Amino acid sequence: MYESVILRTVARVMMPLLLLLSVFMLLRGHNLPGGGFIGGLLASAAIIMQIIAFGPTFARKVIRVGYLNMAAFGVFFGAIWGLPALFFNLPYMDAFWINDPIPGIGKIGTPVLFDLGVFFTVVGVTTRVALLLAEEPELFPMYVQAETEE
Amino acid sequence: MLLWIVLFALVTSPLGLLGRRTPRPLIGWGLAVLPLSLFVLLALQIPLIASGGRLDEAVPWVPAMGLELRFSLDGLGMLFALIITGIGTLIVGYAGAYMANDAGLGRFLVYMFLFMGAMLGVVLAGNILTMFVFWELTSITSYLLIGYKHDYPDARRGAQQSLLITGIGGLALLLGLLILAAAAQQVGVSVADSYRFDALIAAGEQIRQTALYAPAVALIFLGCFTKSAQFPFHFWLPGAMQAPTPASAFLHSATMVKAGIYLLARLSPALGETLLWNGTLVAVGGFTFVFGSIVAFRQYDIKALLAYTTLSMLGGLVMMIGLGGKYGAEAVVTGILAHALYKSSLFMVAGIIDHEAGTRDLNKLGALRRYMPITMVVTAIALLSQMGIPILMGFVSKEWMLKAALESSLPAPWPLVALVALVIGAVGYIIAAWRLFRNAFLGEPSPTVQKHHLVDPKWSMLLSPAVPSALSLILPLGLLPAVSSLLSPAASAVYGAPFTFELYLYREVNTALLISLGVIAVGALFATQQQRLAAHKIIASIDGAVVFDKMIEGLLAFATGMTRMIQSGRLRTYLLYVVLVFMLFVGTPFVAYGLDDIRFVLDENLRFYEVVITALIPISVIATIAARSRLGAIIAIGVAGAMVALIFVLFSAPDLALTQLLIEVLSTVFLLFVFSVLPSRFASLSPAWVRWRDAVIATVFGVMMALLVLATSSNTDFPSLAPWFLANSLSEGKGANVVNVILVDFRGFDTLGEITVLFIAVLGIYGLLRFRRVKPDERASGRDAQTIMPGEDLNL
Repeated sequence: MYESVILRTVARVMMPLLLLLSVFMLLRGHNLPGGGFIGGLLASAAIIMQIIAFGPTFARKVIRVGYLNMAAFGVFFGAIWGLPALFFNLPYMDAFWINDPIPGIGKIGTPVLFDLGVFFTVVGVTTRVALLLAEEPELFPMYVQAETEE
Repeated sequence: MLLWIVLFALVTSPLGLLGRRTPRPLIGWGLAVLPLSLFVLLALQIPLIASGGRLDEAVPWVPAMGLELRFSLDGLGMLFALIITGIGTLIVGYAGAYMANDAGLGRFLVYMFLFMGAMLGVVLAGNILTMFVFWELTSITSYLLIGYKHDYPDARRGAQQSLLITGIGGLALLLGLLILAAAAQQVGVSVADSYRFDALIAAGEQIRQTALYAPAVALIFLGCFTKSAQFPFHFWLPGAMQAPTPASAFLHSATMVKAGIYLLARLSPALGETLLWNGTLVAVGGFTFVFGSIVAFRQYDIKALLAYTTLSMLGGLVMMIGLGGKYGAEAVVTGILAHALYKSSLFMVAGIIDHEAGTRDLNKLGALRRYMPITMVVTAIALLSQMGIPILMGFVSKEWMLKAALESSLPAPWPLVALVALVIGAVGYIIAAWRLFRNAFLGEPSPTVQKHHLVDPKWSMLLSPAVPSALSLILPLGLLPAVSSLLSPAASAVYGAPFTFELYLYREVNTALLISLGVIAVGALFATQQQRLAAHKIIASIDGAVVFDKMIEGLLAFATGMTRMIQSGRLRTYLLYVVLVFMLFVGTPFVAYGLDDIRFVLDENLRFYEVVITALIPISVIATIAARSRLGAIIAIGVAGAMVALIFVLFSAPDLALTQLLIEVLSTVFLLFVFSVLPSRFASLSPAWVRWRDAVIATVFGVMMALLVLATSSNTDFPSLAPWFLANSLSEGKGANVVNVILVDFRGFDTLGEITVLFIAVLGIYGLLRFRRVKPDERASGRDAQTIMPGEDLNL
C-alpha cells in the first residue's frame, strides 16, 4: 500500500512476533490481563500490518485463510463447548476442567476453548473488515482483482 | 402418552418424503399407517373417556410462571383427535393415489404430517399457552399446504390471505388468552394454574365478573372467528381452495377451520352464559350460516361450492355454541362429527371428478352417472347427509340443531334468530347439494366429458371418500348408542358438567321433526329451480377478498412509507432514531423513577493528572466536532480514545486498557483506510437548525447516559456483585483474572451473544460494501420482485 522500505522490513519481522504475542495473550488471559478478545485484536493487527505494507493481495497469499469462514467457525467453536454440560444435566456452558495443568499452556477447560472461539471470531471479523476496505475499488483502484475468496 | 402422540406425529413427518418413490398409491397407503396407529391408540382410550375419566400429562418448564407443556384428553379432545387422525388416515392414502403424477408428493406429505401434529397439539393441549403454540403452527403449516402449488399466483394469494388473516387473529388470540389468565389471577387462581384450561373453567364464574372479561372475550372471538372463517373474515376460506384437494379436504372437513370452533367450545363453560358471549356467537354464527349457504349454490366450481357450505356449517356450529345449554352442546358435537364425515367425502369426490374429467366446473360436467357409478353412489350418500335427509347422520345433526334453537334458554330474539337462520340455511344446503349432483352426474354429457375416457377410479382412491360416506349411513342406522357414548363426554366438556344423552333417528313427531321435514319439502321445491336461482342477481356475494386486497395494499403503502422514512440510508438518520427511541424508552422511566439514586461524591484524593486526563476527553470530543480537516478530526478522536485507555490504566483495569488501546489503534487504521474518500476540508452542509437540534439531542443523550452510569454505581438497593466475582473467580472459575473469568465463564453466554453479533456485523458490512452497485429495483413501490401483491400479475 505504501511503498516504504522501513515499513515493509518492520512488518516482515513483526508479523511472527505479533502472532506469537497474540497466542501468548490468549493463553495467559485466564490468569493475567489478556484473553481471546485482546489476542484476537493483536493477531488481526499483525495481519492488517501486512495489508498496509504489502497490499491485500500479498497478505492473502501469506496467510491463506478465509476470514469470513474463520469468524463463522469461531462462533460455532465457541458455542459447541457449552454443549458437554447438557449431557450431565447441567445448564448450558457449565465449565469442565482438566485437573492437571498442561506444561506451557496452563489449565485447559471448556472456558479456555470458548475463549479460543472468541479469538477466531475477532480475528476473522476484524481482518475481514480491513480486507473489505483495502479491496474497495473506490478507495484503492490499484488493488481491484478477481475476488475468489468465499 | 399424549405428549408422545403429538411428538410422534411431528417427528415422523419427514417420512412423508418417501412419497417421492413409486408406486405412489402403495406408498400413500403405507404412510397412512402412521395416522392410523395414532387413531387406534386414541381409540383404545375411549372406554376410559366414556366412563367420565380424563388423561393429564405435564412437562413443567417454568412452573412459577405457569409455563408448561400440558396435554389432557377429555371427551371433546378425544372427538377431535379421532376425527383428525381418522380422516387424516384416509386423506394420506388418498393423496398417494390422487397425486400419483405430482413430483412434489413427498413435500406435500411432510406438510400434511406436520399439520396433523400441530392440529393434534391444539386439541390435546391442556394449557392455553401450549395450545397457542400449536395454534400458530397450524397457521404456518396450512400456509404451506395452501401455497403448495406455489407457481400459481392464485395459490400464493390464497396462502398469503390465510396466513395474514389467521396470523392477525392469532395475535389477538394470544392477547386475549393472556388477559384471560390475568383475569383468573385476579380472582385468586395461582399463577402456575392460571393458564390451565381446567383451572380457567373452574374459575369461570368469577372470571365473568371481572372487568377483564369483556376485552378477553372480544380478543378470543377475533382469534376464533378468523381461524374458523366467520363473517367478515370468511373470504380466506374459499381462497384456500387453491390447496391440492387432499389438503382442502383435510383443512376444511376436519381440522384447521374447526380449531376456532374447538376453542370456543372448550372455553364456553368458562366464558359462556353471558349476553356478550351468546349474543355475539348467535349473531355472527347465524349470519355466516345463512350467508355461506346462499352464496354456496351460486358457485360453479365444485370446490368453491363445498367451501361455502363449509363456511356455512362453521357458522352453524358457532351458533350452536352460542345457543348454549345441553342441547347446544349436543348439537355442536353431533354437528362436528356429521360434517367431518360428509364434507371430507365430498371434497375427495370433487378431487376424483377433477382428476378424471380434468375440470371441476359444473357447467362443463354432466352425465357422470354413466361412467362413474360407484363415485355417484358415494357422492349421493354424502350429499343426502349434507341435505339432512332422514336416516343419515346429517339428519340427526340437523334435528339436534333445531332442538337446540327451540329449547334454548336465551332471551327473546336470539332463539328465533337461530331458528330462522337454520331454516334458511338448510334450504340453501338442499339447493346447493342438488345443484352439485344434478349438474355433475345427471343430464346430458358435455363436450368435456365426452372427450375424456371416464371411469371410476381405482379403489386406492375411491376407498377414502367411500368410508366416511358409508359411515354417514351406517352410524345412524346401527351405531347410534356407541356414537352417543363417545359424544356424551364431548358434549359434557362443552356444557361444563357431566351428563349423557342418546342420539336417535326417530322417537316421536315433534316440532323439530316437522320443521326438518318442512325444510326438505321447501328445499326440494327450490332445488328444481336451481338454475334460475343461481343466475339471480339479487343473491350477490359480498366479495370480502377485494376489501382485503385493498387493505393489504394500503398496509404495504404504509409500510413502504415507514421504511422510506426510517431507512434513509444515512447513518446520521439511523443514529438519530436510535438515540430518540432510547431516550423515550429508557429516559422516561429513568426521569420518573431513577433520579433519586444519583449521588455524586467527590473523591478527596483526586490527583492533578487524573483531572487533566479526564478533562482532555471532552476537550478532544469538542475538537473532533469543531475540526475543519479530516486529519485533525482523526487525531482528535484518537486522543479521546487514548485518554479513556489511560483512565483504565490509572484505575487499574489492565484488560480494559489493553482492549481500548488496541481498538483505538485499529479504528485509526480503519479511518486511514477510508481517508481518501473523506472530504479534505469539512463543510457545513446541514442548515443551522438541524445542527442545533442535533446538538441538543446529543447533549441530552450524553447527560442522560452519564446520569445513568452515576445512578447505577450509587444505587444501594442491590448488593454489589463484585465481591462475589472476586471471591469465586479462582475457586469456581479456575482463573485469577476476574475480568476474563467473567467474560468466558460467569457471563460466557453474554460473550457468545456478542461474538454472534460481531459475526452478523461483518456480514452486514460485507453486504454493504460488496453488493451496493447492484442495479436498484426500478419499480415505484420499492418492493423487490420477491414480494407478490394479492392479485398482482407475475409477468413483471
